[in-house]
Amino acid sequence: MSGINPFEVARQQIDACAKILKLSPSVTTMLKTPMRELHVSLPVKMDDGSVRIFQGFRVQYNDARGPAKGGIRFHPDETIDTVRALSSWMTWKTALLDLPLGGGKGGIICNPKELSTSELERLSRTYIRAIYQFVGPERDVPAPDVYTTPQIMAWMMDEYSTIAGKSQFGVITGKPLPLGGSPGRGDATARGGMITIREAAKALSIDLSKATVAIQGYGNAGYHAARLCKELFGSQIVAVCDSKGGVCCTGPNAGIDPSEAYSCKNQTSSVCNLPGMKQISNEELLELDVDILIPAAVENCITDKNAGKIKAKIVAELSNGPTTPEADDILYKNGVHVIPDFLCNAGGVTVSYFEMVQNFYMYTWDEAEVREKLDKKMTAAYHSVLETSKEYKINMRQAAYVRAVERVVEAMKLRGWI
Amino acid sequence: MDTQEVLTETFYSGLPQLDSLLQGLLPGDNVVWQTDHLDDYPYFAGAFIERSIKDGYDCVYLSFAAHSPILKPVEGLEIVRIDPAPGFDYFSGEVHRIIEEHGRKCCYVFDSLSDLVDEWATDELLANFFQVTCPYLFQIDAVAYFALRRGQHGNSALSRIRETTQVLIDVYCVEKNTYIQPLKVAGRYSKQMFLPHLITTDVWEPVARSGDAARLLSSAVKQPLSIRNESIAPWDFVYRKLLEYHETGGVFAKTELRELKEALSRMLIGNHKKLVQLSNRYLTLGNLLQIRERVIGSGRIGGKSAGMLLARGVLNSAKDSYDYSKILEEHDSFYIGSDVFFTFLVNNDLFLDRLELNKKGSLSWDEFNKLEQRFLEGHFKDEILEQFRGMIDYYGQAPIIVRSSSLLEDGFTDAFAGKYRSEFCANQGSPESRLNELLKAIKLVYASALNPDALAYRKKRGFSEGDEQMAILVQRVSGTPYRQYFFPPLAGVAFSRNLFAWTDRIDSQKGMIRLVFGLGTRAVNRVSGDYPRMIAVSHPAIRPETGIEVSKYSQRMVDVINTADNKFETIPFGNIGANFDFPSIDMFISDVSEGFVKDWFIKPKEINGNLVLTFNNLINQTDMVNMLGDILSKLETAWEQPVDVEFTAYVHSDNNVKINLLQCRSLHVPSLGGVCVSIPKIMPKEQVLFRSNRAINAGMVENIGYIVYIDPKAYSEAVSLDTKKSIGRVIGKLNEILSYRDKKIMLMGPGRWGSTNIELGVNVGYADIDNTAVLVEVAREKAGQRPEVSYGTHFFQDLIESNILYLPVYPDDEISDFNFNFFRDAKNILLNLLPDMTEFEKIIMVIDVPLSANGAVAKVIADPQNRNAICIFDRSGLSNIN
Repeated sequence: MSGINPFEVARQQIDACAKILKLSPSVTTMLKTPMRELHVSLPVKMDDGSVRIFQGFRVQYNDARGPAKGGIRFHPDETIDTVRALSSWMTWKTALLDLPLGGGKGGIICNPKELSTSELERLSRTYIRAIYQFVGPERDVPAPDVYTTPQIMAWMMDEYSTIAGKSQFGVITGKPLPLGGSPGRGDATARGGMITIREAAKALSIDLSKATVAIQGYGNAGYHAARLCKELFGSQIVAVCDSKGGVCCTGPNAGIDPSEAYSCKNQTSSVCNLPGMKQISNEELLELDVDILIPAAVENCITDKNAGKIKAKIVAELSNGPTTPEADDILYKNGVHVIPDFLCNAGGVTVSYFEMVQNFYMYTWDEAEVREKLDKKMTAAYHSVLETSKEYKINMRQAAYVRAVERVVEAMKLRGWI
Repeated sequence: MDTQEVLTETFYSGLPQLDSLLQGLLPGDNVVWQTDHLDDYPYFAGAFIERSIKDGYDCVYLSFAAHSPILKPVEGLEIVRIDPAPGFDYFSGEVHRIIEEHGRKCCYVFDSLSDLVDEWATDELLANFFQVTCPYLFQIDAVAYFALRRGQHGNSALSRIRETTQVLIDVYCVEKNTYIQPLKVAGRYSKQMFLPHLITTDVWEPVARSGDAARLLSSAVKQPLSIRNESIAPWDFVYRKLLEYHETGGVFAKTELRELKEALSRMLIGNHKKLVQLSNRYLTLGNLLQIRERVIGSGRIGGKSAGMLLARGVLNSAKDSYDYSKILEEHDSFYIGSDVFFTFLVNNDLFLDRLELNKKGSLSWDEFNKLEQRFLEGHFKDEILEQFRGMIDYYGQAPIIVRSSSLLEDGFTDAFAGKYRSEFCANQGSPESRLNELLKAIKLVYASALNPDALAYRKKRGFSEGDEQMAILVQRVSGTPYRQYFFPPLAGVAFSRNLFAWTDRIDSQKGMIRLVFGLGTRAVNRVSGDYPRMIAVSHPAIRPETGIEVSKYSQRMVDVINTADNKFETIPFGNIGANFDFPSIDMFISDVSEGFVKDWFIKPKEINGNLVLTFNNLINQTDMVNMLGDILSKLETAWEQPVDVEFTAYVHSDNNVKINLLQCRSLHVPSLGGVCVSIPKIMPKEQVLFRSNRAINAGMVENIGYIVYIDPKAYSEAVSLDTKKSIGRVIGKLNEILSYRDKKIMLMGPGRWGSTNIELGVNVGYADIDNTAVLVEVAREKAGQRPEVSYGTHFFQDLIESNILYLPVYPDDEISDFNFNFFRDAKNILLNLLPDMTEFEKIIMVIDVPLSANGAVAKVIADPQNRNAICIFDRSGLSNIN
């Protein structure tokens, strides 16, 4: 661990926004403090008959705009401060997308790698029993996060429904499709990111059908981003990479075929083995002369060391935290248009919200409807950030925070809290 | 001729009558005396040596038999005692060495060769010995006397001896008279040479008159014709007696029966105390006779076969837990006896080459390729070919595997894992083409006894001159035909101890399974980008990956036999799994379509995600893991030490699993070796080279003076594939050069050492790394290399066997305390050692640690209990560690 307290970082970001928005100290204090926290001890019977006690948390950071929304993490290094920080970011994310939701997060200190499937199920059900009165479709709606899966969501929904004595599909999102999961969830993050890219391109007068794209990371988000770039815009994917290195196409050709790269990765475990391409390193990919750069892999890959060498016109942060604060400043000064992570990758939480809505109505939308609604939400969110950026003359990341905090403060005021 | 010439060119028997009869002894003569009683032999041998000493020749008496000495010590006679007990290989090598030392034109007397059969059990080896020794003596103009007892050896052996020797003389007694009759005298002839001659003190008169000759020869004890096919060598004799008892219930004293059974067991299984003990306890007479009936040629069946048969014996005799007679698949293997290997070497002029190579202990791969070609051009004796044909007919067109089963392999002190070859034979086509395929496979396995890795391993373990009896196990490939392919649904290797315990929950005493779909080659080898399922017997349901990681760390490729193309192939699993029609496929695959693993519950409508080989349903719904755990536990108890087994399996009706046990051998687990290991708690960061929190072996390696460091980034960016491919060979050279120095070597490199895919790690063989003390796999996730804990692969076994400490290190983890500065600033002495290797200077860094660390050496301490290891600079041993 680096020793940096993530909650402190989150609080500093609120201070910065408070300064721009000239918020009073009491409002700032409210924004910097989680509204509710629940700490639970979870006794779980293990396969060998022994009992282990796990520690769990659920934090509802701010529910001024609606029920808290945020994932449940199963991680051995989980801390309450991590959960607090993440729940605050969920508050800003839902507000930025203008969803009628607040922000929350939960976690259990455990190592899923050390648990059998049945132990994992018992742990999940025990957690729900412990937080049953704290969560609910109208209070706090969890979702999958680090090391939690649709299967775990299904167990949790079932446990909650059993206690409630009725079907409560809306208590949790990210469930498998046959149990009320939403169509369109699979590529929601990448699709949401594409919508922001489209809007940014319009704003910057970039013709996406002639644009070149480099994608760092070829997991779920990276692959769908590549596929959608080609499918939606007809852009040329000129470079992709994964943890083993990358490839870029040489000479004038149609670029990299996303499906071919996906098959290559599946069959050989890396896109590096894509035939007919030039091998490049991950670092080289970031510095390619392309129109759009999509970091979709690891944190802190754009730093003060390489930010000056970024030639892309748009950096769309599909992964969490790819740019360090120092790099952010450099990119802003160099006129690189950054679509910040909690805007760019908010497609996931938006479709989670759609899942809640569908569950409330006991109705399932088709994928086209989900996409259409996602488009509206993402488009609106992007433009609100762009406008804020222009209004306050701040970079897009700061603008996103400012816009989100504005909305939360407005809700608190209307509710008479402040 | 003058006197000087006589002394240097002419040999005398010491008996003028014999010299006259034979027209003199010629340089290079090997003289074989066939006698009824050994009493006659000293008379001739004594006269020969007495005369040769007088003539100034070096004279050597090679004594090895239990009988009374043939010669008494006299001045001028060197008596050398050799023990034949270690076996043909050792004995022949020793004799060869002695002859070589004494040089040209020396005189030798050997003990009775017949006594060798008492030790070696078969006439075949006796003939082999003669066939490799006699031409060498001939070549260096030596003269040697040998004796054979008449009537004790089969025709085949006798005819080979007769064919090889220059002089063969029969000596026999009739009515108290001794007669001598030359049967073969190469290059000499007289009208009466081949008649019987009565030995007297005066003239040896030929028995030329027909009446006298008929009377004499019909009264002689010796058989008139060589009609006797049956040798009385123990190999045949013991078998015949036991068979008679087994079939007719013949009368034997209990002790005699036990002794005969033990003798048969020793001839088949070997002399190792533990093997003998296991065999006596778990193999019945019926079992042994069945084995004997399936031996092609003669000799032992080797370690791999023995392990497999003994393990089956142990399990079938178990009364508690499972009824293994219903679980274990039947087997119908054949064993190519170890004598066949030696005969092949001898008959194809390869024996002496092998002797030389074993002495030398090293060989380049280019040289080996040429040698392998000579093996491929070699031929087998007709009688062996006939037995091969019988075996091919027996198996019909069923695929078979030809597996090395050397005596040293799978023994109790050495695993010899993967050094020798195993060859699949698709076994399709005409009988002749199938025979040719089989012969090629056998020759390749034989040649692998001399491959550079095997030589280096044997040299390292002190077996260079040892008795390496290469038997072969021929097994029916256990499997299922599917389309044009043939393979077992499940195969793997299981260990009775689990050192790959990624969590404290796992009980390392309960074993581990490395399971694959298809042929087991993917379980025992270090394949790239592909992962077998690792199952902890104590906690089968947990695995070190979660979510979609499961997909990444799963098996993608399948090894199969393509019966249409008659070859071994590796194909994507999707080619088989996507059709959902492979038997019990629901037991093996899961779907990772929505970011999580869905085990097969109902047949998928379409493949909308990734089909992944998880074996989850197999693990959760069948008793296979428990069964294998029980097998491991029982075998470990019987072996009295940890074991590993190779197996194939399939899911029978009602989710019952049938297991075919292919091999069982003792497992060498990393041990502390008496060293108390503890990681210093407080250590200034500047004294640390790196830390690892995923150590598997335990130990402490001090006095590391050289670090060969392959920079992961430079490696991943190496300009050409050829450069990458050559790195392994450069490492091999460094391994050799640095081994002559007085400090230890640590190898550090990216990803997986020994991987077949050079993108994932340096492609080295055992011979390239055998002198290193510590092997570090450096994982720079950013550079794309990731170590795979290769526990269970042959490569890992090599490390354990050779006491090479293995450590994965993750420099990007802060806790690794990786000393980037040291590796950046240290002086690279590569070009001092290998001046021509300039193209590798940026990739391979050879660090003289004291030179770059102000006189300090490096030290590694690894504690597997806590899975922690540390590498530090060491200036004064442990005194500066708190």
